[in-house]
This record gives sequence, structure tokens and C-alpha cells, in this order.
Amino acid sequence: MGPAGRSVTANLPASPRREADGRWSAILPNRWALLLVAPLLAVLFGFVVYPLVKLTIDSLTTGNGIGNYEAVFQSAAGRRALITTVLASMLVSALAVTLGGLLAWHIRICRHRAVRAVLWLAVLAPFWMGTVVKNYAIVILLSAEGPLDKLLELLGLAPVSLLYTSTAVAIGMVYTMVPYAAFSLYGVFLGIDESLLDAARGLGASRARAITSVMLPLAMPGIVASGALVFAISLGFYVTPVLLGGAQAPFMASFIQDYIFTFFDYPIASAASVILLAVALLTLGLALALVGRGRLQRAVA
Amino acid sequence: MFARTPPDTTAGVAARRQPRALLGDRFTAAASAAAVAATTFALLAPAVLVAVLSFSNDSFFDFPPHAWGLRQYRTLLEDPRWGSALWLSARIALPVAVLSALVVVPTLFTIHRSRLPWRGVLQVGGLTGIIIPISAYAVAMYGVFAQIGLLGTYWGLVLANLTLAVPVMLLVTSAAMSRIPVELELAAMVAGASRVQAWLAITLRLLAPAILAGGVLAFVTSLDEAVFINFLGGPGQETLPKAILDSVRYGLDPVITAIATLLMVATSLAMGLAAQLARRGAR
Repeated sequence: MGPAGRSVTANLPASPRREADGRWSAILPNRWALLLVAPLLAVLFGFVVYPLVKLTIDSLTTGNGIGNYEAVFQSAAGRRALITTVLASMLVSALAVTLGGLLAWHIRICRHRAVRAVLWLAVLAPFWMGTVVKNYAIVILLSAEGPLDKLLELLGLAPVSLLYTSTAVAIGMVYTMVPYAAFSLYGVFLGIDESLLDAARGLGASRARAITSVMLPLAMPGIVASGALVFAISLGFYVTPVLLGGAQAPFMASFIQDYIFTFFDYPIASAASVILLAVALLTLGLALALVGRGRLQRAVA
Repeated sequence: MFARTPPDTTAGVAARRQPRALLGDRFTAAASAAAVAATTFALLAPAVLVAVLSFSNDSFFDFPPHAWGLRQYRTLLEDPRWGSALWLSARIALPVAVLSALVVVPTLFTIHRSRLPWRGVLQVGGLTGIIIPISAYAVAMYGVFAQIGLLGTYWGLVLANLTLAVPVMLLVTSAAMSRIPVELELAAMVAGASRVQAWLAITLRLLAPAILAGGVLAFVTSLDEAVFINFLGGPGQETLPKAILDSVRYGLDPVITAIATLLMVATSLAMGLAAQLARRGAR
């Protein structure tokens, strides 16, 4: 923003402001900025902040009040669902970041156009399938006498009946989150200068050493951000537990849905939801404190 | 195949390295290439499987199919249920895409052209809808919708999906806006344009491809929405994801493979278009 406007002084329209030091500026006055942001604020406060606050208040004031939480923690089903959901989400987060990270790194360094195209296709295909179709495809894959069992049979192995188990749900969650993590980590890896690796190798480091001592430390904030996001999103998976877990696999989404629509017990469902949200927000808050707003924002794919 | 050859300048040093390190390197490279190959296969297999099975001519689901043909696609066209589900989904997704642009685009000027305090927080706060656990969020929306009578209504579903589409629109357009130099507006204003004229003639015109890209992605996001519809939709409100979900819950109807394949093709085209538009905006 040079002194371009300084020589032109007379008869100018009022809209570009002059700063205190006499430079011209296109900065928007605050009251206009506030007016322009009003629609977004309305949506955010009306349909994000207010619902979450109301949910928390409802969970404490309707039904048995704080007893709603006791009911979730004391029922075997509630405890089992919470533990399974949190553990599965942690596992999914670790696997998604590892496999997605490897995939993104290979896309980053791959020099063959065709190979890179196939790797990109693998990242994008699950996005193209959409939520329900993805899970439908995995239902087919894991169904009794399905493709996976037939493949195992060909290899002379015993069939595994995975469908309607927690393992099936975890597989479905990993299938959704690996491309998500790959997408967000690709952006992180793009920001790392490849010549640093060459420099490390030139100084005598092995490939593995160059990656663990140069690339990984540089990528770590992005990896933490991506892992936290994958974990928070995984906690709320609904379609995957419903289709791949069936009635048996204990997940919070099924627990919550049962309490609202089968037992018509909104207070318990709201307490369970608040617990889930609290775990997610604590994780995201921790990530925010560790890596900062910008990194977390860039990690959302 | 994935090995990266070091540039010539370091080749001499690399050659002098100890053989043990080279062996270790080769092992690490092979192991990571194998993991990537397996992941790639696992990610592609379900998509390929569904597309191939959509050409089965069996009336019941079986693997492998006994006959091949276009039976699933014919059934799909004959059954009015799928068409009306798609129609409802599209009728929800279109206003969601338009509204998300109307909500987000003005915000970009606040985020990128003002010094309003907390404007940076908006960037992350605006994304909340897609980073919190959706089944818990759906219960929160259920409580509010029950309170104000939006449960089971068309506009309720539009508003619910809007909360997921706004973050998508914000991600795409805010990235594009950060690449538009403010000097262009300043030059226009110094040359006599009003602020509004400068925005309309320069900033918004440069932003148009990204807004369109965001609109396409917002549309796809809404079309794909499968959780809110289960918590907030009423009887008779059967969107496409809901129809597929309910069908799969009660068994494997082979006609779903045909719908899934068409959806995959349509979504890949839409997302490809969006990526193309976003790239054009970047130039």
C-alpha cells in the first residue's frame, strides 16, 4: 500500500478512508463490518450456540436433573457405549492420521503422474460416495458370504463374520476418516520445504532419520490438529454404527437415538449428548491451545 | 516405485553412506510403500465393488451375481419412490446452497477487509457445525426445533442443513478471498469508484468462481445429509440418504447399487467442477 493516493488530494469520494498517517486505506469501518457479519452471527448463535446451551440446560433441569448424568454413567449400556465410542474414536484417529499421513506424504513426493492420480482417486472416491453409500458398500463387503469371506475362502482361511460388530463400525469409521486426514495432512506437507529433507540426507542422515528428525517435527502441529478433529468428528458418527453395528454394537449415537425415539426419554439423551460434546470440545480446546487457531482451521478438510 | 531419487548434488554423499543405513532405508521405503498400496486398495475397493455390482441382473442380492445386465437401473427408473426422494433432497439442497452464499459472502468483507476485533475467531467459530459430534448436535437441534415447532418441516430441514453448508462455503470462499489483493479495491476507490462499486466490479467478480464452487459443495453437503434427517425429519419426509438408509437397514436391495453408482458419478462430476472453479479463481 504505497503512497499512491497521497498526491491526489482534492474531490475524492468519501468511501476510502484516510488513516491517521495520511495514507489511503480500504479498511471497512467497524459498524459496517458488524452489519455484514450479522447474518452469519444470526446463524451461529441461533443454530449452533443456542442449541448447545439449551441442550446443556435441558440436561440439567428436565427429568431427574443431575440424575440424568448418573443414569447414563450407572447404566451398563451407557457406560459400555461411552467407553466403546471413545476408544473406537481414539483408534480411528490414530489409524486415520497414520494411514492418511502416509498416503498424503506419498502423494506429495511421488513423481509419477499416473501413480499420483491413483493415490488421489483413492482419497477422493470415499468423498464421492457420500455418507450412506460408503457404509452400504462396507455392509456388502463384510456381509456373511460376501466378498471378504469369499476372498478369505479362496486363500484357504476361515470366514470372519464382522458385520454387526464393533470392529465393523471401526472399519467403517476408518474408511471415512483416512481420506479426511489425508486431505488435511496433504496441505500440511505442502507447506514443508522438500529441500530440507535433501539437506538432511546430504549431511548423511538416512531416509528414515531425515523423516523422523526433520519432516515429522515440522508436520507435528498439523498432525495434532488433524488427529483432534478426526477424534471429535468420530465421536458423533451415526450412520456407521446404525448400519454396520446393528442392534448389538454399543455406540453413543445408537444409545442417544434409542433414548429419544424408543424410550421417549429426552432428558437422558440430552445428558448423553452433553457428555459426548464435552469430550469433543475438551479435545478441540486442547488442540487449539497446543497448535493455535490457524492450524486447527486449516486442518478442517 | 515410490522411492525418491536424491538430486545430483547429494548423490556422492549418499553413495558414501554406510550400507546398513541403505538397507534400513530400503526396508522403510518398502514398508511404507506397501502400507500406502494396501490403503489405496482398501479405499478404492468399496467404490469399485458397488459400481460393478450395479450391473448384476439378479433380483435378490447375491455375491458374485449370477447374471449381468441393466436390470437394477430399469427397476430404479420404474420405482417412483427414488425419484421423489431425490426431488425432496434437491428441493432442500438448492435453497441451502443459495442461503449459505448469502450468509457467508458478506462475512468475507468483515474477516478480510475490516479491523473488527474477534474477526479471526469467526473463521474457526464458523466451522463449529462440521467439527462437533453430529449425533449430539442433532439432539441439540431436536430440542430447539421441538420448542419452536420446526420438527418435521421443510424449512426446518433447510435451516439444519444450512448449519453444515455454511462452514463448507466459508472454507472455500475465505481461502479465495485471502488471495484477492486489497490494493485492487483501493485503486478503484482512489480512481473514483465508491466502495460498493469497487466490491461489485472487482472483488465479487474475482470471487465469483469460488462462490460458485462453494455453492456446489454446499449443495452436495446438503444432498448427502443423513443424520439430521433422522432426528429432525417427520413422517413422509424421505430424502435420498434417508430412503437408502432405511432400505439398507432392512436388507440388501440390489437396486441400491444402481442409485449408489449414479450418485457417485454425479458427486464426482460436481466436486470436479467445484475444484476446477476454485482453481480458476486462484489464478
